[in-house]
Amino acid sequence: MNQKPNRLPYFFMIPVLVSIMASTSSCQKDVKNEFTGQETNLTIKFTPVVRYDTARMYFDTTTYTNVWNESFVVTSFKFYIRAIRLSNSNTGKAFEIAADKYFLVDFKDSLSTLVKVGVLPSNYNRLSFILGVDSTHNVSGAQTDALDPAKGMFWAWNTGYIFAKFEGTSPSSTAPGKRFTYHIGGFKTGEDVNKEIQLLFPFGTGVNMEGGKTAEINVTADVYDWFSTPHDIKISKLNSIMTAGTEAKQVADNYSKMFTVMTAKTE
Amino acid sequence: MTVRWTILISLFITLGAILVQACKKSGNDKGADPTPISFNIPQGWPSPHYDFSGNPLTQEGFELGRKLFYDGRLSKDGNFPCASCHQQFAAFSTFDHPLSHGFDNQFTLRNAPGLYNIAWQPATHWDGGITNLEVQPLAPITAPNEMAEDINNVLEKLKQDSQYPALFRAAFGDAAINSQRMLRALTQFVGSMISANSKYDRMKKGTAQFNSDEQTGYAIFQSKCTGCHTEPLFTDNSFRNTGITVDPTNKDYGRMNITRKPEDSLKFKVPSLRNVALTAPYGHDGRFLSISQILEHYNSGVQNGPTTDPLVKNKIPLSINDKFYLLLFLRTLTDSSFITDKRFGPPE
Repeated sequence: MNQKPNRLPYFFMIPVLVSIMASTSSCQKDVKNEFTGQETNLTIKFTPVVRYDTARMYFDTTTYTNVWNESFVVTSFKFYIRAIRLSNSNTGKAFEIAADKYFLVDFKDSLSTLVKVGVLPSNYNRLSFILGVDSTHNVSGAQTDALDPAKGMFWAWNTGYIFAKFEGTSPSSTAPGKRFTYHIGGFKTGEDVNKEIQLLFPFGTGVNMEGGKTAEINVTADVYDWFSTPHDIKISKLNSIMTAGTEAKQVADNYSKMFTVMTAKTE
Repeated sequence: MTVRWTILISLFITLGAILVQACKKSGNDKGADPTPISFNIPQGWPSPHYDFSGNPLTQEGFELGRKLFYDGRLSKDGNFPCASCHQQFAAFSTFDHPLSHGFDNQFTLRNAPGLYNIAWQPATHWDGGITNLEVQPLAPITAPNEMAEDINNVLEKLKQDSQYPALFRAAFGDAAINSQRMLRALTQFVGSMISANSKYDRMKKGTAQFNSDEQTGYAIFQSKCTGCHTEPLFTDNSFRNTGITVDPTNKDYGRMNITRKPEDSLKFKVPSLRNVALTAPYGHDGRFLSISQILEHYNSGVQNGPTTDPLVKNKIPLSINDKFYLLLFLRTLTDSSFITDKRFGPPE
């Protein structure tokens, strides 16, 4: 007449343990999306180049020449991206990560050039994102993380973010220290330079991104593109842009074509 | 038996609760919750423009902001706290300085405005360049001719300080010091500066009476000035060209610097007239040394240009008597309790 061992309470324990595990895993900050299965861990790796996608850009020491035959050295190159979207132009499948998740890609901070996101597993052949900061985030007061004004991408005297920054020196510049300073931004009607960047994977070939696996997309950003097409930007004529407006719009038109997907692969 | 399991289960639940707690921002050094303080909108005033719901006003947040406001370390050489240009006895303007000055003996282009009822302003600065009160301090802190400092340097100084980490913890729950918290604390302090206890306010409430001269001045004011200096804040927060010419040295075109629109050339924000007797000199660059000079400007000095405001284009005729009564009325806008309120003075 042995009593049944105390098994039942163990069953009671299970939901308790599960809830504890659930609460601890909620500590991890994940990119929010509606997908609840296993994500693909995607890294978008940005690399700065000059003129050729294989010609890596180096800061401070290497001299380059732009399309106007002006030589220049790069001292700063950074920009904001948001609304990262993967899609497949053949199947119509698309996945967008949280639109208010901002990334500051700063080529002087190598960690920031690796944009890591979780994506819905699928076959994709396109990547798109917006280079810029939406109007809401431009006027929402003191913010943190990528949008922390301490990151140096904020106009303190005329509230708004600098979306993209490209600085350097050039013998063609008439500014003190031969500097050129291109701070590009603008979110108000008529001067909005938010740019949606649409990129196709090499040859439009789809890549199967599976759950639990890792994927990598290599994207180059070419400073050469800032100086021309469609607008002629010469350091000798224009060495500083530090406000939204016509010139910022021209430069943003130019740089909106500076990205190329070099490789897209899974491991 | 059951008792034992109950104990075990409750132990697990407690453990779970602790873990959940630990998920809340680095919770292990969590202090007591800060003490909320209420933001009281004076009777008959509109709702403020700045929304404190995203930056709840607390005693600890206010006190942290107060310490920051009076702390020279927010500036490059330690000499220029916010309070260097915003002096309480002058209703937080700069006493007797046409232009405020900052780092390395440099002058700025502008007259430091008084700070009061700022929470009602849709945009700050003479040119309205700042559209959210929280980010306003970034401008003077980083301007090379004002406090001339870098935000990261300021934060570093605060982190190295013996007191700040504890004050940040008291205000925000943990000792993390970042730009958002610093800016929000400053906003709690400056945004709480309400001036609504002048003789004019007491007259409106029925606890004081204007004498006949003040009453006459008030009537003249209502007939000639409220087009821009709207009660109860004594500004409509618009940008206008009051018939001034550009200063040839400073070449400050005001609102146009922000909007880049030629129609905004030489437009500056209509300042509140509260505490006006304390905030001389006047105008965006302090070019008017006295209230009388401004009144005379409207009477005879208006220069018509392409952007001159229609309300002043034909001047505002003011007799000697009008000016006398207006002056007496404007003095009723002085709020003595505001400029002596210890809450806004330097921390002990």
